[in-house]
Amino acid sequence: MLLPPFEYYRPSNLEQALALLREMGDQAHPLAGGTDLLVNLKLKKLAPKALLDLGGLEELKGSRADGGQVSLGALNSASRLASGGPHVPRLLAMGAGALGSPQVRNRATLGGNLVTARPAADLCLPLLALGARAVLTGPQGSREVSLDGYFQGPGYTVKEPGEILTRVLLEAPKPGQGGGYQKLGLRQALEIALVNVAAHLELEPDGKTIAMARVALGAVAPVPMLAPSAAQVLQGAKADEKSFTAAAQAAAADAKPIDDHRGSAAYRRDMARTLTLRALRQALAQAQGGKEVGA
Amino acid sequence: MSKLAISLTVNGVQRQALVEPNQTLTSLLRDELNLTGTKHGCGVGDCGCCTVILDGETVNSCLVLAVQAQGREVMTIEGLAQGIRLHPLQQAFVDHGAIQCGFCTPGMILSAKALLDRTPQPTRAEITKGLSGNLCRCTGYEKIVEAVQDAAGKMERG
Ligand SMILES: Cc1cc2nc3c(=O)[nH]c(=O)nc-3n(C[C@H](O)[C@H](O)[C@H](O)COP(=O)(O)OP(=O)(O)OC[C@H]3O[C@@H](n4cnc5c(N)ncnc54)[C@H](O)[C@@H]3O)c2cc1C
Ligand code: FES
Ligand code: FES
Repeated sequence: MLLPPFEYYRPSNLEQALALLREMGDQAHPLAGGTDLLVNLKLKKLAPKALLDLGGLEELKGSRADGGQVSLGALNSASRLASGGPHVPRLLAMGAGALGSPQVRNRATLGGNLVTARPAADLCLPLLALGARAVLTGPQGSREVSLDGYFQGPGYTVKEPGEILTRVLLEAPKPGQGGGYQKLGLRQALEIALVNVAAHLELEPDGKTIAMARVALGAVAPVPMLAPSAAQVLQGAKADEKSFTAAAQAAAADAKPIDDHRGSAAYRRDMARTLTLRALRQALAQAQGGKEVGA
Repeated sequence: MSKLAISLTVNGVQRQALVEPNQTLTSLLRDELNLTGTKHGCGVGDCGCCTVILDGETVNSCLVLAVQAQGREVMTIEGLAQGIRLHPLQQAFVDHGAIQCGFCTPGMILSAKALLDRTPQPTRAEITKGLSGNLCRCTGYEKIVEAVQDAAGKMERG
């Protein structure tokens, strides 16, 4: 399968990249790992005049702790995130390890996953559950946007064409937190989920009461979504099977699945319930494990 | 579209090439450098038969632009044998009948190599996960897993 013709630019810093984007408008598409963009070009879904390789932008690389928060560069690959490291929350590492195949994980980036914004994207769900914010940098400077509200439709976000997603910000992991990630596919690898769920729990110092929880659902709506009723059921409740079962019911009710060739809406709703329950159990085990999340 | 001059290391040898911006790394290796061991299958990241090792990590070369290999190190299946002596993974694939039509084999072996470089004694689960990006329509995978286990044992014993 051939790629259509395009011009290739490799700016060496963010300023140059933004200037090129401004000059060419939506004729130029940023290129990160290429695992979505190059496929879409080959399938003739897109025909941009130019590709702007982000690979030279130091501003988009690495990860660091910044006061009480963690800042992850948009160019971090799924492999790097999956192997953890001091600044990567375990929940994000779990999602990253479930993405595609080893070869795809070695190329696929954090920024690409967030900009492509597929409804079941394996990095988007953990980040939503972790309350992450994206840093979007454009000609007028940078803005931080919460991921809750960032996704607008499949492949469509609040990012403007002239903006580059530079970094992702997260609260630094704390003791008493835990994450759970569940992905259901028709195969075990190389597959976008049929339904996936990420759950994040924060326990009170007593180790039994839920201080705060977020449940993110994938492939049950046009965008990765938070289940607000599940979070409500969990907040202040005892971290036990009874609350988890009620939260799983609530998550299934929040889901807005459709029928398609891969599964019916009713099946997806039911799986959203089952996977939420499993993800919450997993999150609790991690939170009570006493180990610092991200360690 | 004008051609771009790149230089890269392929199997330890410094190479120069003129590439089109829309040329893939698969096409650079096969069509310009005559390294046809790298296969072209689906073209969209699903099958893994175009797998090469780029700076120590496996990639689907059908989803990498040739220009993106500028200044980098590529290893293809041709870089594994030492003269006429096969790499232990290649020998194990032959010995175990892990090759039938052979189309998946170069990619499969490079994925296995990248796995063993990181995890010299992988469990069965680690092997199947490590090879999960490579499809084989012939062998049923069992013999491939056996070959990787065997090679890992032999490489450990040296
Ligand atoms: C075989 C295969 C299997 C896959 N399986 C999965 C899976 O299981 N789960 C999953 O979630 N995804 C999967 N994917 C999709 C893909 O790998 C991910 O979405 C990946 O994270 C995309 O990142 P990328 O760096 O490759 O993006 P690219 O393809 O480089 O870019 C994607 C889009 O984002 C834009 N973009 C990229 N980075 C930035 C930035 N920093 N700022 C602004 N715009 C940017 C590009 O212009 C493009 O529109 C799969 C893909 C393939 C080919
Ligand atoms: S040809 Fe590259 S993955 Fe199939
Ligand atoms: S041997 Fe034929 S595809 Fe694997």
